[in-house]
Amino acid sequence: MIVVPCPNCGPRNSSDLRPCGEITSRPDPATASLSEWRTYLYLRENPAGWVTETWYCRSGCRRYFTIERNTATNEIRDSEVS
Amino acid sequence: MPTSIPRGCDRMSDFKSPITAGTVTAADGSVAVADETATAKVVVRAAAGTAAATDLGVGFGESRLRADGTLVCGTRPEEWTLFAGLERAGELAASIDTTGFVSVLDITHGRAMIRVSGPKAAKVLEKVCNVDLSDDMTPDGAVFSASVAKVTCDLLRSDRDGEPSYLISCERSFGGYLHAALADACTEFGATLPAGLGIH
Repeated sequence: MIVVPCPNCGPRNSSDLRPCGEITSRPDPATASLSEWRTYLYLRENPAGWVTETWYCRSGCRRYFTIERNTATNEIRDSEVS
Repeated sequence: MPTSIPRGCDRMSDFKSPITAGTVTAADGSVAVADETATAKVVVRAAAGTAAATDLGVGFGESRLRADGTLVCGTRPEEWTLFAGLERAGELAASIDTTGFVSVLDITHGRAMIRVSGPKAAKVLEKVCNVDLSDDMTPDGAVFSASVAKVTCDLLRSDRDGEPSYLISCERSFGGYLHAALADACTEFGATLPAGLGIH
């Protein structure tokens, strides 16, 4: 079980939330090449370490928020409303 | 041939709860699960600074009982749910000032509502809900949303006569299952399920 701190609801079991994956920067749709767009849509860094990711509080406040999570230890050091 | 989309029942005389089983009570009276769907429920979404948000005056996670008997719950940030007697749904919806970025929706018929009450109410809920139900975290009047028996629900702790009591509302179609799941959780504490009520 991972306990994820929702900024509104407090600590919740991750089963009450939906992970939306690590945050990536969106390229300009007007100028991005197909390769850049594919990279944005499908490719992730997936490091064994700290990653900034978005979660959705589906059973609670129904808000998206951002956390910093260590994917190796599941330690979470920061969360804020997206 | 023109067809019409059923809009649900707009008369309270048509009201019908999705929960068909009666109240389930532990033999020693330590916990009871009752259907309270027959309650007016109005949800208000209002941006901060609007007249509606100011009038409601209840923060997220809190509740307040008005002098007229309306229970105002801060269900989510910038979202409130109002509960009152069944016949007052229209009056409640009409009482909200809709100036600005505000929406008001009567969900009386769209949500089921169940009350779990008694000294062991928290013990029963702990079996199916992973929120900390201690007095420190969820005191009388606390409002929160969580998964209850895998159903997303809005919960309100509304103690009665000094005994813990929780009002749980969920989507109407899940009402029958949720009632059965909560009744099943009571069996450990001496409740006997009526014939036909069970989840196994």
